[in-house]
Amino acid sequence: MTSYILRRLAVAIPTILFLIVLSFVLMEFAPGSPFDSERGIPAAVLQNLEAKYGLDRPAWQRLGLYVWNIATGFDFGPSFTYRDRSVNDIIAQGFPITLTYGFWSGLAAIAVGVPLGIIAAVKQNTWIDYLAVGFSIGAQVLPNFVMAPILVLVFTLWLGWLPGGGWAGGQWNYLILPVIALSTSYMASIARLTRSSMLEVLNAPFIRTARAKGLPMRRVILRHALKPALLPVISYLGPTFAFLLTGSVVIDIFFSTGGIGQFFVAAALGRDYAVIMGVTILYGVLVVGLNLLVDLAYAWIDPKIRY
Amino acid sequence: MRKLSRAFVSPNASAYPDGAPEPVKGRSLWADAWARFFRNKAATGGLIVLIALVLFAVFGDLFAQWSNEEIDWAMLGNVPEVGGPSLENGHWFGVDETGRDLYARTVQGTRISLAVGVVGALVAVIIGTLYGAVSGYVGGRTDQIMMRIVDVLIAVPYMFVLILLMVVFERSIIMLFVGVGLISWLDMARIVRGQTLTLRQREFVEAAVATGVSTPVIIARHIVPNLLGIVVVYATLLVPSMILFESFVSFLGLGVQEPSTSLGALINGGAQNLRNQTPWMLGVPLFFFCTLLFALFFVGDGLRDALDPKDR
Amino acid sequence: MIAASMTRAANKVRTTERIIDMLRRTLLGTAAALVAFTPALANTPQPGETLAENQVFRYRLLDQFPTLDPHLNEETAGFHVIRQLFEGLMNQDAQGNLVPGVAESFEASEGNTVYTFTLREDARWSNGDPVTAQDFVTGWQRAANPATASPYSWYVELTSMENAAEIIAGDAEPETLGVEAVDDRTLRVTLTQPLPYFAAMTTYGTLFPIHTPTVEAHGDNWTAPENMVSNGAYTLDSLSLNETFTLVKNPEYWDAENVEIERIEGFVINDENQALTRYEAGEFDLLEPLPAGSFPRLQEERPEEAQSVPRLCSYYYAINHREDDGVPEELKDPNVRRALSLSIDRSVIVDQILQGGQTAAYNFTHWATAGFEMPTMAAAEMTQAERDAEAQRLWEEAGSPDLDLRLIYNTSDNHRQIATVVSQMWKQKLGVDTTLSNSEWAIYLEQRREGGFDLARSAWCGDYNEASTFLDLMTSNNGNNDGKYANPEVDRLLEEARTADDPQPMYTQVEQILAEDVGIIPIYHYANTFLLNPAIKGFPLENVENNWYVKDFYRVADE
Repeated sequence: MTSYILRRLAVAIPTILFLIVLSFVLMEFAPGSPFDSERGIPAAVLQNLEAKYGLDRPAWQRLGLYVWNIATGFDFGPSFTYRDRSVNDIIAQGFPITLTYGFWSGLAAIAVGVPLGIIAAVKQNTWIDYLAVGFSIGAQVLPNFVMAPILVLVFTLWLGWLPGGGWAGGQWNYLILPVIALSTSYMASIARLTRSSMLEVLNAPFIRTARAKGLPMRRVILRHALKPALLPVISYLGPTFAFLLTGSVVIDIFFSTGGIGQFFVAAALGRDYAVIMGVTILYGVLVVGLNLLVDLAYAWIDPKIRY
Repeated sequence: MRKLSRAFVSPNASAYPDGAPEPVKGRSLWADAWARFFRNKAATGGLIVLIALVLFAVFGDLFAQWSNEEIDWAMLGNVPEVGGPSLENGHWFGVDETGRDLYARTVQGTRISLAVGVVGALVAVIIGTLYGAVSGYVGGRTDQIMMRIVDVLIAVPYMFVLILLMVVFERSIIMLFVGVGLISWLDMARIVRGQTLTLRQREFVEAAVATGVSTPVIIARHIVPNLLGIVVVYATLLVPSMILFESFVSFLGLGVQEPSTSLGALINGGAQNLRNQTPWMLGVPLFFFCTLLFALFFVGDGLRDALDPKDR
Repeated sequence: MIAASMTRAANKVRTTERIIDMLRRTLLGTAAALVAFTPALANTPQPGETLAENQVFRYRLLDQFPTLDPHLNEETAGFHVIRQLFEGLMNQDAQGNLVPGVAESFEASEGNTVYTFTLREDARWSNGDPVTAQDFVTGWQRAANPATASPYSWYVELTSMENAAEIIAGDAEPETLGVEAVDDRTLRVTLTQPLPYFAAMTTYGTLFPIHTPTVEAHGDNWTAPENMVSNGAYTLDSLSLNETFTLVKNPEYWDAENVEIERIEGFVINDENQALTRYEAGEFDLLEPLPAGSFPRLQEERPEEAQSVPRLCSYYYAINHREDDGVPEELKDPNVRRALSLSIDRSVIVDQILQGGQTAAYNFTHWATAGFEMPTMAAAEMTQAERDAEAQRLWEEAGSPDLDLRLIYNTSDNHRQIATVVSQMWKQKLGVDTTLSNSEWAIYLEQRREGGFDLARSAWCGDYNEASTFLDLMTSNNGNNDGKYANPEVDRLLEEARTADDPQPMYTQVEQILAEDVGIIPIYHYANTFLLNPAIKGFPLENVENNWYVKDFYRVADE
């Protein structure tokens, strides 16, 4: 196992490197520049800006320098838009925020989605099942950009219970609405995946056998059925958690959390190459890392699995 | 044989090594699944609704009093007061914020969104399943490389892929499908690969390997059929997110352009007008979106049950 | 799913429209002589008003400002904050008139080419250091220095300060800039050409002073709340990007005793509807801008709060006049262009879509531009029925061409709605097909610059409050003339206007030629709509450049 993990970590480096090169090439060919604005910028001024950010050098030099700075100093360079901030500063501000609400959203999605899916599967075609199904569709039907304004309308304007946005250092009352808006659709997906794979497992012969032996249902599910039923959910959770932890644009925009999702999209639209690259790498590292965890979880679920 | 029957049996009776004579020639798998599907009332109902939706999207225009781009000048400027659904003026579903008929727009938007959903789901099912199954079954270094490629593709700033598509090709509806298809299969590949890893250890696969069945045949006849349940369910989960994802693609300029629209764009427009006393602008597209999801859910579940050989 | 929010994110770039304020005409009469000012009257409660206990001013920002460095800033949101944190030589009052800031007086000599400012004795930085003339010299040199790479360095060039252009181009040392500290309280500026309105230009952030030890100690990070030393009425207390920031009263400020508001809170809320809901929940006092289509309702529900004031920007469709761009040949026919312009019913756009006090435009220059006399435009005098009939006639004269026009715009609700309405008007009145082509900001800009369009949605905001800031755009060599409209007569007239005592006749003539040629299709003149809590007094509604100083506000207690 340890050697497997070590091998995977070794592969992670070329993977991220490949990600950097690919992203760099994509941005290189995309139209637009970070200094674009409604009015043209005078040539001399543009030249000074490009010199300042090294954009006057050939692409391969920029790429090389970029990778070198990361490798030697963990320095992701200055932001092109936020003139007095470095990419490190921006990630240091935004990442803890998205990490917090992303983590809670993921947790909420699992905590509600998995039991809901199990109950629905066990009570298949009863009113409990229908209720669970109805909930999970309802949660998916309201996209978060519809849910967010409705939540604020109800809980901030009408009831006055919760703040309509902001972060305030992550106080719990600022966290509730973003977590609800972000987690519901994942809750629904997890519930559906759990339900269907639980149904599949419950029909498997070894479960039938266990039940025929007279084991109580609860025991059968927890001891035998749950682990294999969670497998697809866990596969789903890898990339999903990476996405949640790097934040959602919609949540950042609607709730003014100051999270990294908003930075990323604004940077992409404004061609702030440094910020895009920094967040992409962060996301890439999370994807690779979480997928490694997922693979380790497979081995826990099914010890027979060999890679 | 007894031992095998207790294990997961793949649906097309593939416990039998390829070429070996099957003892009883039963009904074909598909006919069987089909019959099982129709025995399921919820699934049948879902299918009927789905067909109705498709008919609505294709033939709904016949009943429209307005085109999807015509502006009802009389409405413009006081849409909240007079723009609501009405039988008299032919705006069955009311008008949007620029006075265009919401019925015609919903018909046309549903058409685009259904197409996007179907394409996204199909790409995910075909490419995602094959990719994941191959990666998981072959394993080892191949698996490592294939999955690291997926990792990179998941993390790459997707917006720039779309922008480059737009720069290289002219914008068109085809490019929208390409854009959606490019991203839709990634998660599917990971889920399928995870399932394949455990399937690979099952007795019936080992039996097939032992009797010398070739890898492609094992994947096609033993692995993939056993994945169908999860694949179908995940595909139905993908459809709504692809439909909403379309509006992002269109935002960049690659997808649907005015005066055409989509369910995603309509819902978005309705949400913008949440406070402007025009509830139909959100309500109508949301209703169709919701109906579509319910129908898909029941059809998806019905399919899953029907394709699951262990059931019944 | 992201589209809704993406639109908002695009605002980030869109609002990077900067309005610098020069007040050229207003100063012409007084500039030549020694100008001394009586102390500004502080804003104090009128009889019958009681000050609120909690003197706080809270407002919403559409987008996060990229920087609070006065010399690097290039956009409005940042300047609103910088104006509270720092103080230049001159300030503006509620009407936009020039009033003293750090300078207590100035003298223009040698035909408006040399300006001598006398700094007040009690001006201090927030750490207690005195504000000296050298702080201005260093600040201005810093703004021009290529190593600083300020995107707004061209503003220094615009002032005609000696060597500014050479420094920016890298051909001269920053120290050679035409500004010197004669002594701690005397600043002398040398210009290369007479500029009667130079003093007014010092109200903009690019010409604010800087506290050199702070910048030297902290580098780029000097603007962080824990590091910043500023000389305005407020200091930076906290800043969390894309969320919120707070400013608190600066006790060292020379006029601190007359500053009523103790604390300023800013909230960055990208989504307009969300911002409105939070305003209604009472979270802040100033909400700007309002979501499209909400102004009529708000005016009805909150007549005391809903405001609409002119804003110096013009919205227009640029026509591609390039020769070799695949532009339909028919578009070269002025009659075709005239018909297209006439058949747009602008009242539908301003009264039924925008609904926020915008005005229909038949000329380019915004009507509220200082000293600008609106020319009598033929089209403006007609009724829409007459315009339509005339359009019809011209169209037939041009042979009723079969056209399919490509109209580009950046993805946004407003642009989409206007394009939709215009394309329908053309279709119904002239039978012209329009292909609407939206894209995200950067792609749109590139297409517009390279000429990949027949028509391009455009807007221009005045850099300063004078008609030439608009009309210069129509000269053939202007870098922002994206349609490449060219008329030698326009070039000549605008050149002449530059040195004329009264440029108005030339401006009128240019507008007439532009309308005759239909070089562009003007659509509407902007208005700024916002909600302002009536408890906040002293907000400068009459300052068309929207330069507000919180130090002049006060908050009254709710009745």
